Amino acid sequence: MPLVLFLSVFLIAACGLIYELIAGTLASYLLGDSVFQFSTVIGSYLFAMGVGSFLSRFLARGLVARFVTIELLVGLVGGYSSAVLFLAFAYTESFRLALYLLVLAIGILVGLEIPLLMRILKGRFQFRDLVAHVLTFDYLGALGASLLFPLLLVPRLGLVRSALLFGLINAGVALWSTYLFRDQIGARPALRAACMAVLAVLGAGMAGAERISSIAEDNLYADEVILTRQTRYQRIVLTRWKDDLRLFLNAHLQFSSRDEYRYHEALVHPGLAAVTGARRVLVLGGGDGLAVREILKYPNVESVTLVDLDPEMTRLFAQNEMLAALNKDAFKSPRVKVINADAFPWLDESREMFDFVVVDFPDPTSYSLSKLYTTAFYRLLAKHVSRQGFAVIQSTSPLFARQTYWCIVETLKAAGWRTYPYHVYVPSFGEWGFVLAGQGPYEPPARLPDDLKFLSARDLAPLFEFPNDMQPVEAEVNRLNNQVLVRYYEQEWNRISR
Amino acid sequence: MESHQPVKTSRRRFLGTALVGLVPKSERRIEGSFVDDGHEPGHRLRDHAPFPKPSHQVKVPVVIVGGGVAGLSAAWRLEKRGFRDFVVLEMEQRAGGNSRWGENEVSAYPWGAHYVPVPDKKATLVRELFEELGVLHDGQWEERHLCFTPKERLFLHGRWQDGIEPTLAATAQDHEHYRRFADVVAEFRATGQFTIPMEAGARASDLDRVSFSDWLQKQGLSARYLTWYTNYACRDDYGALASDVSAWAGLHYFASRQPEDEGPLTWPEGNGWIVRRLLAKLGRFVRAGAVVYRIAPEGRRWRVLTEETEYLAEAVIFAAPTFLARYLIEGAGPVRGFVYSPWLTANLTLDRWPGERRSEPAWDNVIYDSPALGYVVATHQSLRSHIDRSVWTYYWALAEGAPAANRQVLLEKDWNYWKEAILNDLARAHADIRACVARIDILRLGHAMIRPTVGFLGSEERRRLAEPHGSLFFANSDLSGLSLFEEAQYRGVKAAERTLRMLGRA
Repeated sequence: MPLVLFLSVFLIAACGLIYELIAGTLASYLLGDSVFQFSTVIGSYLFAMGVGSFLSRFLARGLVARFVTIELLVGLVGGYSSAVLFLAFAYTESFRLALYLLVLAIGILVGLEIPLLMRILKGRFQFRDLVAHVLTFDYLGALGASLLFPLLLVPRLGLVRSALLFGLINAGVALWSTYLFRDQIGARPALRAACMAVLAVLGAGMAGAERISSIAEDNLYADEVILTRQTRYQRIVLTRWKDDLRLFLNAHLQFSSRDEYRYHEALVHPGLAAVTGARRVLVLGGGDGLAVREILKYPNVESVTLVDLDPEMTRLFAQNEMLAALNKDAFKSPRVKVINADAFPWLDESREMFDFVVVDFPDPTSYSLSKLYTTAFYRLLAKHVSRQGFAVIQSTSPLFARQTYWCIVETLKAAGWRTYPYHVYVPSFGEWGFVLAGQGPYEPPARLPDDLKFLSARDLAPLFEFPNDMQPVEAEVNRLNNQVLVRYYEQEWNRISR
Repeated sequence: MESHQPVKTSRRRFLGTALVGLVPKSERRIEGSFVDDGHEPGHRLRDHAPFPKPSHQVKVPVVIVGGGVAGLSAAWRLEKRGFRDFVVLEMEQRAGGNSRWGENEVSAYPWGAHYVPVPDKKATLVRELFEELGVLHDGQWEERHLCFTPKERLFLHGRWQDGIEPTLAATAQDHEHYRRFADVVAEFRATGQFTIPMEAGARASDLDRVSFSDWLQKQGLSARYLTWYTNYACRDDYGALASDVSAWAGLHYFASRQPEDEGPLTWPEGNGWIVRRLLAKLGRFVRAGAVVYRIAPEGRRWRVLTEETEYLAEAVIFAAPTFLARYLIEGAGPVRGFVYSPWLTANLTLDRWPGERRSEPAWDNVIYDSPALGYVVATHQSLRSHIDRSVWTYYWALAEGAPAANRQVLLEKDWNYWKEAILNDLARAHADIRACVARIDILRLGHAMIRPTVGFLGSEERRRLAEPHGSLFFANSDLSGLSLFEEAQYRGVKAAERTLRMLGRA
């Protein structure tokens, strides 16, 4: 009997620590600055436990039933804490509020556990033994949990299911207690039914979590998935590893926060800085606002129009604190106008002219996307770029997909553009290619904005040189009625990914 | 009468639904109906039912009967020559004929003809029209009107292959017969006999006296895939089996055009796109919903009677299907040898795309060994890169069996019958099709296409009707034996020119 009793102490102690670790880990993943997050989470959790211990003195009668109820509450709140926090991050603006409210709630409940248990057990043991044993198993449970968490739970189960698993343990302890202490409370069918219900709810969460694709995505992505959202148009996945934030659209990497500045500086500045007095800029695609951030470095630019298909995407990058920090709140600028529309028909109906256009579409992985890389599209684009202006097209990698890259160049030429291909190295992407296109001649600009991390005016000219393994190759022109680009792209990327 | 059974729900089903929705989703309800197919006034004409007397009379030099491509092309030519004293009388509420189209919140879609092959340099009339419509400029075809890639695919052996000519798991014999057939076709092409319009090259030919299937047999071209493919071509272009058309017609399909990979030209609403633009120019001449029930000579003039108006004309261009002449034109005898294929066209509105692995929907999607012809995706020519809803136009030529019996079947079976038949057919390639379709609208066409039967090309009757009859000119494409846009346009323009000459306005 005594060992069995103290096993409950061990288990509930482990549960309490797991919830604390989950809250700390999640806060670090989602908000960064792990020292701050762990300190504040642990601090408020311990404080809440103190509050719980203090409150325990107001519970006078029916201690066993109270204990069982508290276990069930801890199981429910703690078990779903991780899921609730993920959802709060993905769908609300108040992740911090949810975080600390949960930490306080769990802390208070956990703080009630040990004092209640000690009072329940006080008749059965010498006080001296009771304190010693309870605290021993309490600390042992903490040790077990703290080892299990990083070694087994996070890598194997992930945060959502770990929390649910320990919620189940809490509820299991509750059910078990109704039997352990039946000499004190008698048979309590209602209490047992409540235990079964909580077990069922948590079990359902467990089963549901199996099906939630984020679990599958944990295997797909190397880093911890911190946000997934299925929109009408695409699947948005955000991962984080230390300070590296990565955005995936339909499982294709869009940027890594560690080196995206290289990509976006290279995308915008060689062209935009060359258009003196550019006033109106258009961005097609680029719903992350990172290209807009670079464009806003030009005081002469009066308006930036961003056309991106997915309203969820632009809303996320406008409102989510962490993501808006990446684009320096670009969407809050009064100079920026966001339009959620399909780019080709939008351009077809627009009569606006622009001095500079950034064409930042996903790679031509399908026939539908490759429409945006055709002579038909580039001819239409030409009608919207002023005579002195330029357009820049993200054009996949001239190293890994050499024919794809030069096919885009050929297609632009066939649509009547003069082309100026260039490339840069972006560690998370590899060698990456862009094509500047204009009606007139291009000279690399003598000056760039001051606060660039990667580019400087003297480094521009070499970007337009292609070493031997990226030199032009023959390629057909991509038209709506042949779509050769998809074929090139598939062949070339398949070759490396196998 | 439908029987109305009381709604009974089993307890398990009720509990399942109430708790967690564990019961499999009940099959979704698919809406839809037959669309107005004009057979009602058609049958009244056939049965010589009484029509109300017109209340007023209008004098107009030229009346064009029929607002399909032939009639509108006649109007196009008259107007272009500066002649504006004419009307086009269309029986249906909207002009268009076999190029009629529809539109819903998802897309515009065709009800009939849905493409025009890229016309070569000799097809001057078609090119003239396309230059006018901005489809062709400076010798270049406007890219967005050319069919986007992927163009065609065939569902064969449980998977999709590119192109409609079956090649997946082809035997050595299949390849050999394809090659030999291609050689023969190239020879025929070189003779210059197979032209569009057909009148330019066609002359009396032995090929007109044998069915296409017999001819293929005689050539020893009997490989399974080639047989299917040539049959498919005949069903697609003539609504008939290879055994029901002449070898001349079967070969015309292959030998009349140079192989090219630029086209065809197509639009969401199919050739309705062309009709729309013609109507924008010529709509003021068109009287829709005008059922012509009698055309009678009166002195040197013609009385053309509709329910509201009697037109007194100096010339009539009869652009409606030629078989109608016997019901409309006083004194016209029966039209012999004109056989028409019955068709069914369905437009399916899809809320979502069926699941696909390793393939993307093409423009034209054909299922091997299906009795129908497959479906064309109306949203294929959309410039959008994200298309989550679509309209599919499903074509079914009732080629098997006698046309008259099939027309009867078309009329007798209800919408539900056809809906099931269509979904069952599509389910071979798309197992989840029923979960994707929200609506199926069905058009039944009893006389959809002229059938170039054995001997039709050389028939006296065809040649006689193609010639002018005083001030009456037949203009329907059925006079060519080929239901093609180019033939309809050619016949319409030719009738217009003959009319102008007759009126001394040329």
